[in-house]
Amino acid sequence: MNLHISRRGLLGIGAAGGAATLLGACGDSGPNEKVTGGGQNAAPAATAYTGPNVALAFWNGFTGGDGAFMKKLVDQFNTEHQNIKVTMNVYQWADYYQKVPAAVSTGNGPDLGIMHVDSLATNAARGVILPLDDLAKSLNLDEAQFSPPVWQAGTYNNQRYGIPLDVHPLGLFYNKSAMEKAGLDPEKPPTNNDEYMSALDKLKSAGIQGSWATPFNFTGSMWFQSLLWQFGGDLFDEGAKTAKFGEDPGVQALTWYVDLVKKGYSPKNVAQDADVVALRNGKNALNWNGIWTINTLREDKNLKWGAAAVPQIGTQQAVWAGSHQFVQFKQRQKDDNKLTAGKVFMNWISQKSLEWAKGGQVPARKDVRESAEFKALPEQSALAQQIDYVHYPPSVPGIGDAMNTVVTAVNEAVLLRKEPGKALSDATAKANQILEQNRKKYGG
Amino acid sequence: MSRTRGIAWYTILIGLSLIFIAPLVWMMLTAFKTPGEATRVPPTVLPQEPTTGAFGTLFESGSQTPVLRWFLNSLLAATGQAALILVVASMAAYALARMEFRGKNLLFGMIVATLFVPIFILIIPNFLIVDRLGWLDTLWALIVPGAASAFGVFFLRQFFESLPRELEEAAVIEGANSWQVFTRVILPLSKPALATLAVISFLTNWNDFIWPIYVLFSPESFTLPPGLGILQGAYTINYPVVMAGAAIASVPALLLFMIAQRYVIEGVSRSGLKG
Amino acid sequence: MVEQSVHALEDPRPAAAATGPGRARRTGVKRSARTTPYLFLVPYFLLFVTFVLVPAVYGLWISLHDWDYLLPGKPFVGLDNYQALFDANSAVFDFFWQSMQATGIFTVLSVPLLIAVPLVIALLLNRSFPGRTFFRAVYFAPYVLGVAVIGVLWRFVLDPNLGAVNALLGAIGLPADTPWTTDLPWAWISLVGVTVWWTLGFNAVIYLAGLQDIPRELYEAARIDGGGKWAEFRHVTLPGLRPVLLFVVINTILASSNMFGQAYLITQGAPGVETRTAIMYIAQTGLRDFKMGSAAAMSYLLTLVLLIISMITFRLFRTKD
Repeated sequence: MNLHISRRGLLGIGAAGGAATLLGACGDSGPNEKVTGGGQNAAPAATAYTGPNVALAFWNGFTGGDGAFMKKLVDQFNTEHQNIKVTMNVYQWADYYQKVPAAVSTGNGPDLGIMHVDSLATNAARGVILPLDDLAKSLNLDEAQFSPPVWQAGTYNNQRYGIPLDVHPLGLFYNKSAMEKAGLDPEKPPTNNDEYMSALDKLKSAGIQGSWATPFNFTGSMWFQSLLWQFGGDLFDEGAKTAKFGEDPGVQALTWYVDLVKKGYSPKNVAQDADVVALRNGKNALNWNGIWTINTLREDKNLKWGAAAVPQIGTQQAVWAGSHQFVQFKQRQKDDNKLTAGKVFMNWISQKSLEWAKGGQVPARKDVRESAEFKALPEQSALAQQIDYVHYPPSVPGIGDAMNTVVTAVNEAVLLRKEPGKALSDATAKANQILEQNRKKYGG
Repeated sequence: MSRTRGIAWYTILIGLSLIFIAPLVWMMLTAFKTPGEATRVPPTVLPQEPTTGAFGTLFESGSQTPVLRWFLNSLLAATGQAALILVVASMAAYALARMEFRGKNLLFGMIVATLFVPIFILIIPNFLIVDRLGWLDTLWALIVPGAASAFGVFFLRQFFESLPRELEEAAVIEGANSWQVFTRVILPLSKPALATLAVISFLTNWNDFIWPIYVLFSPESFTLPPGLGILQGAYTINYPVVMAGAAIASVPALLLFMIAQRYVIEGVSRSGLKG
Repeated sequence: MVEQSVHALEDPRPAAAATGPGRARRTGVKRSARTTPYLFLVPYFLLFVTFVLVPAVYGLWISLHDWDYLLPGKPFVGLDNYQALFDANSAVFDFFWQSMQATGIFTVLSVPLLIAVPLVIALLLNRSFPGRTFFRAVYFAPYVLGVAVIGVLWRFVLDPNLGAVNALLGAIGLPADTPWTTDLPWAWISLVGVTVWWTLGFNAVIYLAGLQDIPRELYEAARIDGGGKWAEFRHVTLPGLRPVLLFVVINTILASSNMFGQAYLITQGAPGVETRTAIMYIAQTGLRDFKMGSAAAMSYLLTLVLLIISMITFRLFRTKD
């Protein structure tokens, strides 16, 4: 949909598209109604679009440096496809998730977009995005071409709503100079609990608090979740009916994390972002952070740093990850040309996702991941090794509300205001209430 | 003032001012640092490796980031809304302060009561209304809805109340009607209040970042707050760019304030009352 | 053409200082036809009804439903949303009242400072002296910046481990590890401190404008009567400022109880959710969790509390003689 239309144009579309009454009643279809769009036409495999000229609006949250990589791809696509013009609009993610549903509800939404995998269920349940099963089939996409966890995470109610673009897991980022100062081998970061603790001891003797524990969502809560899965636990049970993060594995995980502070390997009261800033300044040595940290650390030309898979502290390998997924948005009127053109776009970008990976991502697509060019990106491929054991939150609408209780629990425990067990059990009680509330609201 | 009192006086003023200015000065200095230096620990004061990179990022307007355009949009929206508020709120405030009519207190009470409703509740309904009016992605959406805020009316009504009535009474005796009293007596006397309200309204609109999220879509329609936001990466804050953006954004507002202070507020003489 | 009608107008000005010596007390002279007030009101009223009144009433309507503007079913739940706020077993009870407590603490701490300190500064800056405009700009300058910038700036400066404040304190021998943004009571001190720094100029400028309106003759008269600066303040300045002062008090209470940006950016509600204000929780519930009905109910409960506080304040100003 072309967004640069005049006021008259908007009114025109509004009238043609059927009147929505002023106050509410915008959602004229819910999750259970047959939704228009999503490729119900059994068109031939859409690797080419041969229809009339069409303009697609593509919205995402790739602000700052990320945006440049995606924009490059979009521009290239536009050059190679004479009859499709894709316009990309970027917004900050937090704004994007408020804005897009509002826009879709009034018929001003885009055609295509990107969403994080843990937002798919909520947006699907609210009728913002369309099922993509037919699209996946017509492009011959299935689990084998991606990786099991990321492919499975893109579904809700047994329908597929997202085509994975990338995976962004946590990784271990380490300051090589700090490690050298403590007599550690900067090319051999720790890979298990014993190595990790002994490294921390050495760092402590050299006067460095080696692993700052942040109490905030980025990335304290993600670190905790990784540990939770590593100790064999899980956030919720099957279908997310009850919260399980407060059980033994969770307590173990949070205790290990809080002990970093208690044992002096981390200062107290680490503020938001302080752990990364400290890493850049050599005051922090081992930091579990998202793959996006690659770009941050690259800004410092004098910094010697490395990235590796997170160590296995618990009994199994596991790590937190997010994933960007392609989605298609509900429209007031179904436009088959646009849907087909959209398919072509998604497929094309997906195949070229190596370019995207250079911006600091792990491509979701297996063939790209295993290509020589990708393997030549050292930090990204180091983190890509974790691809088969990444974990995502369950695909349940409103799961983010319940996850907030985890964030609070981690915060209280790391700031030493509550013991880990108590923090988690308080959070469990709240989470269960919220889960029930959500079940009532979204059904199921 | 005696010499020593004068010096003590300025010492206090300057001392207090330092507390106010220090963070702002630090902000400006940060705008000229590299991202790495801006987050150095211990922090540096003067830039060791001064650079205008942050400003460069801001001004290298691509089609995605037309910063000058955002600046212009912000200017038009803020000026437009301030002007609209001055006009409608002053008229309403005058009626509420000086005129008698049925339901006056009830009306005033109702207007003020809406100030107590958290603005978040009004966002979604207003978004739907604005959509219906066809104003999405236009300046109208930025100018008109906010002008209905009760703030301006409450503010001016209190000021009008505090004006001495003698001048109005004199004008009435000379045969002026309401409109003439309003425009020839009240408004000139209220210049400090009007100028203050203009500055406040301008600033509120200039810095608003929540409402534009909902009603603006295309990059060319953005105002500065959402626009500067998309220059930031998703996960880390680029302090020099944030500070440079803030520095640029603060210039018109400060200018407006100084003009209003010097030429309007301080220019008002009280001589009118002697006649 | 002179339209005349005379009504008794309740004059809120205190008897003592409103008039100088020898002036007769007159009630307001009305010269309006029936329709004139309404004509003055119409432009504003149109905007007000469309963009404030209708949404506010609609918000009340929303609060009676389990409302998500995208889901088709918006079941009417009567007063359930409100009841849940008083039911200790509901999911929102703890969160909501915790957030109200945070708002209460912040308001009680910040409002007196924000009323008194700007007044002192306005009085200081009300004289004529070289550099006056510059100093006025200095005190107002922080307000020129939006909350987004302020939040980011102070979060970094107040960082317990890396920030300039602790670095400075350490340099002069004081403890350098105060958790300004992550522990109590420091987080409150930080939030109040930043807010005062940021918005002091706002109130000061309003006071200055109000001080301009006080006729110089009243000061001269007070000086003739003797009594000194304090008497001047009590008998001329304060009464003259009264309507403006009322505005500042109400507005400051409102602004503090709607505090959102500073806590969101500087402490993120930490530790735990101790500094998560009511508006933060309401915004999260309504705009991120999409539970508008519950958020609306919380908002109107907050509105009710604030209305009661304001009515008390209005009364106090009326009888304060």
